[in-house]
Amino acid sequence: MDTPYAIEMLNITKKFPGIIANDNITLQLKRGEIHALLGENGAGKSTLMSVLFGLYQPEEGVIKKDGKEVKINDPNDANDLGIGMVHQHFKLVECFTVLDNIILGVEPNKHGVLQKEEARKKVIALSKKYGLMVDPDAKIEDITVGMQQRTEILKMLYRENEILIFDEPTAVLTPQEIDELMQIMRNLKAEGKSILFISHKLAEIMAVADRCTILRKGKYIGTVETAKTTAQELSSLMVGRNVNFHIEKKPQKLGDVVLEVENMTVASKSHNNNAVKNVSLKVRAGEIVCLAGIDGNGQTEFVHGLTGLEPLVSGTVKLKGQDITKAPIRKRNTSGMSHIPEDRHKHGLVLDYSLENNLVLETYFEPEYTSPAGFLKKDNIRKTAERLIKEFDVRSGQGPVTIARAMSGGNQQKAIIAREIDKDPDLLVAVQPTRGLDVGAIEFVHKQLIDRRDSGKAVLLVSLELDEVMDVPDRILVMYEGEIVGEFDPKKTTQEELGLYMAGAKRMEVKA
Amino acid sequence: MKKEITRTNILKKPGVQSLISSLICIILGLFIAFIVLLIINPSGAFTSIMNVIKNFLWFKNPSSRLKYFGETLVKTVPLLMCALAVLFSYKVGLFNIGTPGQYCAGTCAALYAALKWQWGWVPCVLFAIIAGALLASIVGVLKAYLNVNEVISGIMLNWITLYFTNATLTAVKNPSSKDTLTIATVNKAALLPKIGLDKVFNDKYVTIAIPIAIIIAVIIMIILDKTKFGYELKATGINKDAAKYCGMMEKTNIIITLVISGALAGLGAAFYYLTDFEQWAVTQSTVPAMGFNGIAATFLGGLNPIGTIFASYFIQHITAGGAFVDLTKYSSQITDLISALIIYLCGFVLFMKTFMNNMIKKSDAKHHVKEFNINDEGGKK
Amino acid sequence: MLLLIQYTLIFASVLILVALGGCFSEHSGVINLGLEGIMVMGALGGALGMRFLPIGIPGFFYILLVLLFAILVGVLYSSLLAVAAINFRADQTIVGTALNMLGTAAATVIVKAMNTAANPNDVSSIIQYIEPKKKFIVYFGSFEFNWFMLITLIILAGAWFVLYKTKFGLRLMACGEHPQAADSVGINVHKMRWSGVLISGALGGLGGICYILAGVSEWRFEYGVAGFGFLALAVMIFGQWKPTRIALAALMFGFFRALSNTYMGFGFLQALNLPSTIYNMLPYIISIIVLALTSKNSKAPKAEGIPYDKGQR
Repeated sequence: MDTPYAIEMLNITKKFPGIIANDNITLQLKRGEIHALLGENGAGKSTLMSVLFGLYQPEEGVIKKDGKEVKINDPNDANDLGIGMVHQHFKLVECFTVLDNIILGVEPNKHGVLQKEEARKKVIALSKKYGLMVDPDAKIEDITVGMQQRTEILKMLYRENEILIFDEPTAVLTPQEIDELMQIMRNLKAEGKSILFISHKLAEIMAVADRCTILRKGKYIGTVETAKTTAQELSSLMVGRNVNFHIEKKPQKLGDVVLEVENMTVASKSHNNNAVKNVSLKVRAGEIVCLAGIDGNGQTEFVHGLTGLEPLVSGTVKLKGQDITKAPIRKRNTSGMSHIPEDRHKHGLVLDYSLENNLVLETYFEPEYTSPAGFLKKDNIRKTAERLIKEFDVRSGQGPVTIARAMSGGNQQKAIIAREIDKDPDLLVAVQPTRGLDVGAIEFVHKQLIDRRDSGKAVLLVSLELDEVMDVPDRILVMYEGEIVGEFDPKKTTQEELGLYMAGAKRMEVKA
Repeated sequence: MKKEITRTNILKKPGVQSLISSLICIILGLFIAFIVLLIINPSGAFTSIMNVIKNFLWFKNPSSRLKYFGETLVKTVPLLMCALAVLFSYKVGLFNIGTPGQYCAGTCAALYAALKWQWGWVPCVLFAIIAGALLASIVGVLKAYLNVNEVISGIMLNWITLYFTNATLTAVKNPSSKDTLTIATVNKAALLPKIGLDKVFNDKYVTIAIPIAIIIAVIIMIILDKTKFGYELKATGINKDAAKYCGMMEKTNIIITLVISGALAGLGAAFYYLTDFEQWAVTQSTVPAMGFNGIAATFLGGLNPIGTIFASYFIQHITAGGAFVDLTKYSSQITDLISALIIYLCGFVLFMKTFMNNMIKKSDAKHHVKEFNINDEGGKK
Repeated sequence: MLLLIQYTLIFASVLILVALGGCFSEHSGVINLGLEGIMVMGALGGALGMRFLPIGIPGFFYILLVLLFAILVGVLYSSLLAVAAINFRADQTIVGTALNMLGTAAATVIVKAMNTAANPNDVSSIIQYIEPKKKFIVYFGSFEFNWFMLITLIILAGAWFVLYKTKFGLRLMACGEHPQAADSVGINVHKMRWSGVLISGALGGLGGICYILAGVSEWRFEYGVAGFGFLALAVMIFGQWKPTRIALAALMFGFFRALSNTYMGFGFLQALNLPSTIYNMLPYIISIIVLALTSKNSKAPKAEGIPYDKGQR
């Protein structure tokens, strides 16, 4: 124990065929500190963590625990060393209770028979100690995302882990929940736990971390003390150039109403209440309206109702004055509505189709691509695909014939955006269009949305990212539990104010 | 060095990979069957397995060979149609294990119309197609609207159809046996036309069913590969949600697919029973194996309609060959065993292909060291 | 009436055993469509046991040995599914179907080979077990009590306890719901899935021997088990993957199956004068109706049918 470091990853190099994911990376986590790991998507953060958890074996480099070299061959070894992780996508069994999820893998038992009482006591004691109130008997599917995250934290504490890793923990939380999480992290630190905090959100790193290690394109850039740096400096270290956070927009020229939704109600698939309750809104030509809110407050169902994926319980939808409430999806697609879906793998792409076939997914039936006898005109499909690939800089291994599954997430998203924007829609519905993209790609997507607006078309943006909510739209509507509870001008509001509405702490009357 | 590169290039082709995988399945299947025969009785095992492989070549006389080749083809036709039925639905992501039932329904319709109502062969064929299609549409509707697993509903309908068929065809049974009457004695007009093929093969059961079945396989391939309809169906099969999102009628597509699949199975039955080659035994206790063997042919054919033609022939070839094992020592079901083994081994085809691809990647990686590309690889974990 | 109850109970026992087998397999994340074939092989194992075990063994041990034979063969046979579906990530539907076909084909080949070896003129696929069958049956008046009814009850209670009260059950279900979560806490997903499939093999095998013993005193192996493996899957779905509800569903299905054997004994049913075909179809028709009513909101384990690949997190 003569070293201040709880865990050290020294000179780690991990290669995959044709790619060096980690190139000589060093990360030293001191005992009792909060250490941030900063980098864009694809910078090598997840590879590094996978190495730490024994999922990958590095070609070079060593891992030391308390100064002693250790070999980590699988996640069990990492657990034994007291390393625990809150994954970005929670590893919770939805139909189990909180308690069952916590004890899973380390179940107290007598001859294989579960002994849950002692576990329950321990969990309740732990939640009191760290301020993590969760009902141990609630089922995961019934509790909020914030509560689920607490369950994940309790899982680590129950296992008496000393080294806690948080992978992008704030992506799914409200500003208020983020504050609470920060406080929990400070409590954990005060109890002597060492925390590794993976993030690309600079404000949070500045607020909570002691030190910060930056990765870029698989390489180690440096480790800095947050007290001695600024967010601006961190960001240029992360991206490798100065990033222009401000988005250029032309002065707004509002046109006619393009989309008019009146009293839309949509049933929920997961519970008996309606997911969308009596929502009315309008989107005009030349504006970007953002539907903001925490995940799971009815935005998904609203968009499904709007685009025809789900039937409405009641209400009407009008596109350019035409009632499309009961119109089939094909009709909506061909009469001026485009939809960048939330889940690009579920809805946006046929992953086992080639890129070119995906690029005509909504136009293949047009005379340009199908002869009157029903045969596909493959040459025309190829031409269109090549044009879109060039215009939108969609990168792939083999061009138009690449199977979509083999493309990176960012390029899959670009392909969807290319397809949807190429239709030159009057209304573009873009749901979390930048999720999982790196800074460069995000800039590209935002520019596309603003181009639509500037060319006099309407955009409805659904976003969970507060930065995006503040920067891109002309108008913000906050959705909470299926209702619109606030309307804001992004220039005249703050993230904190939005947060209060998103969490349901405040509401106002909103007229469409 | 150069030689090695060209070899890997050929291996990269999915068609070649399918062919290799299928051959591996066949060889392993036959080998295991051989082992089984060895265990049962070592003395005649080799001759018997060779007889299975030889089938009609067992005969010395060329005209007998031709005749039995023709008869193997006659039985290949229904098998091919069932295989195409399975293939068509599988391309759309549905496993139509109800094919035997739809085949059974086609049989029931064709024979009843031919024997009871004395219809001509064209309406009989159409009636069989409709019967198969209707039965399959039940599976489709249940799947599309009520999310009923098509495998289980298909199996249940197989049994229901079997009982129904036995009960219905009892009305046209030969009073002195358990079989239905022969069409030739009751209503010659219901027999499929032979357009001289019977003379070529010297076998009266060889009819236009054979060339038509091959044409249908080709048409199916064109539909799947070249048309808007095929594009839609495959998209629905791979990703039903994306199909819905882009405005395809995914529920209708599921039903249409099963209707076509059932129609193919029904047609297969008509193509077989309207040759008079075999009669339906009304005491049958299981659905005809034809549909299940169709599954084997589908996967053995690498899920390609043309491949399915050859695979169907192969399956029928060895099934007929089963009659030539030494029946004093072994049972002819050894060929059922081979078919079943082949299906089982086809489950490993995906793994075989992945294995081949990995081999190729490894040898490729030696040749080119790609530049590090942040956009394409970094984020995918 | 007594006969109807008797048949209902014995058929329900078969369905409960096999459906519980399916339930264990699916809770671990593997869809077992090969239960039909597993039943045939289990029946074969048990029948061979009855053919070769000396009849002098005391009843209790005799029954135990026959059951062990059925279980052993069922387990061995199900490992074909496990290795393909778990280790080689094969399509579970194809492999299950193959197992069904292979089961009947292999059993027929084996039994015929043995019959022919014993008597060159015997090419049938029949095994007889007149004397052994008596050991499984106790008469209460005219009610034929089959020990399988008790065995099933014990297994039912055991299955419930294992699934909901033990460490094993918790881990098993975690693998079927969210294998990545199970893996992240150090549970070996492949091992749990193997356990699930092998348990389904054991229960399927038991169900198989129970099924053929419910009938007459001989079995012709070409017949297979008449779709009972699939009926059991329907029972499992209707029972929402829960042992208690599976038992109730099995009783209902068992009743309809029993009706086809005994409807002649009911004056009012005879008076309806329906063809016997209707009664034969009844269990299958009911199962389709039941599936149609319950499939929409099915509570199937979320990860079932999806091969687990450690690389894909």
